[in-house]
Amino acid sequence: MIHIHELSKRYHNHHGSDWVLQDINLEIPTGVNVGLVGPNGAGKSTLLRLIAGMDMPDRGEIIRDCRVSWPIGLAGGFQGSMTGRQNVKFVARVHGSDQEILKIIEFVEKFAEIGKAFDEPIKTYSSGMRSRLAFGLSLAFDFDIYLSDEATSVGDRAFKAKATKAFRDKVGQAGLIIVSHSEGILCDLCQAGIFLNDCHAHWFDDINEAIASYHASIKLAPT
Amino acid sequence: MSYRTPWQVTRSVWHALFMREAIARTTADRFAWFWMLAEPIAMVTVMVAIRAVVSSGHHIGGVDFIPWLICGLLGFYLFRENMMRSVGAVDANKALFAYRQVRPVDPVLVRCYLEGLLKTIVLLLFILASQLMGLGLMPSDLLGALFAWVSLWMLGLGVGLTLSVLSSLVPEVGKIVRIISLPLLIISGAMIPLNFVPYDLQQYLLLNPIVHGIESLRMFFFPSYQTLSGISMTFLWLCSLALISLGLMLHLRFSMRLRIQ
Repeated sequence: MIHIHELSKRYHNHHGSDWVLQDINLEIPTGVNVGLVGPNGAGKSTLLRLIAGMDMPDRGEIIRDCRVSWPIGLAGGFQGSMTGRQNVKFVARVHGSDQEILKIIEFVEKFAEIGKAFDEPIKTYSSGMRSRLAFGLSLAFDFDIYLSDEATSVGDRAFKAKATKAFRDKVGQAGLIIVSHSEGILCDLCQAGIFLNDCHAHWFDDINEAIASYHASIKLAPT
Repeated sequence: MSYRTPWQVTRSVWHALFMREAIARTTADRFAWFWMLAEPIAMVTVMVAIRAVVSSGHHIGGVDFIPWLICGLLGFYLFRENMMRSVGAVDANKALFAYRQVRPVDPVLVRCYLEGLLKTIVLLLFILASQLMGLGLMPSDLLGALFAWVSLWMLGLGVGLTLSVLSSLVPEVGKIVRIISLPLLIISGAMIPLNFVPYDLQQYLLLNPIVHGIESLRMFFFPSYQTLSGISMTFLWLCSLALISLGLMLHLRFSMRLRIQ
């Protein structure tokens, strides 16, 4: 369960600081896959980053009483001067999996299929190699809730098929909160939905209703 | 995976960061280990050479010049490395803050811990080597010397914690720190005895807590050492604790901004 209580967030910039999210109250249960929908700039990614703990809210709080992942396939979470193996070790240690560290390394090495590059510094990687590694790393741990920001679209054709399958298997056993503009993926993966609009969040038990009200808001908007 | 207490999480983060920093620090450069020893050795050699030419007399405050110099230099390097390594600690680990378990204060604490360990190993090697060479660099009061060493370490940690935040918020701070590190070496009495400085000026130099740490360290090493009047460990610890508190407060206040930038 993730409790979001009176959450507000704004970014400060030179033109003032408008609220991105305002007074959001949500309870996201563990066993449900949730899709986040809304127009660009509505704060979907911001909400996901806040849930992941990569960013702090200006007001309110988020209580996670289960294991929540970092956003799947997050290639920014690598230290460029360290090798792929060292990065994987680091993340495994941070998550307290010292006993399973060899198992995790083996899994990631096999999954990412980047060969000898696994022992080269990350800064020498191509963006495809980075995202392969990042994706493998996310799937190596058992989380209660996974977070995903358009993550299923990485790598070449063969890798994509494999990644999608592995992703679905993992998500089938745990919860998922996903940000995506592809309604096919959302309808396919999710049961519930959150529609973000005008700094506020609306919870729908059915993802189709969330998408429907998103569509309705586009029609209502003055052109 | 089961639930972990905050302390368990923090401990595993420190463990992970320590392993990462230790590998980066000792293997990043082929000569990393070499420089750790070569820098103080080169400094001692140069200073001994200069002293042989410029001035007469081999004693400072009743102590042989070479052990006096080694003691001061290593004490100063302990402080300086803690300060300098902390300055880059937050920026160098920015990518790792993507994992919410890692806080900006963690790499600073881990780096200071690691740097202290490395400098302690260097000190022990120097003591061993000078024993073999009969230079007489052996602490007469072992516990006291250890205490003074730890005090300098804590002072470095305090300055490091404070500067790590400031230098991330204002990049110029890092440059200024690099510029003042050499003058600091001179006014801290690490290689030039402050006994030779006029009394009035000494009073100002004594405002610098590093002087108190280095002179105390020497007093515990050499029982017959005549130090400056007004050397006080209390003052050093007041400075250290004040700076550590200030640094931790800055980390709390700006942790959000340090993460994002």
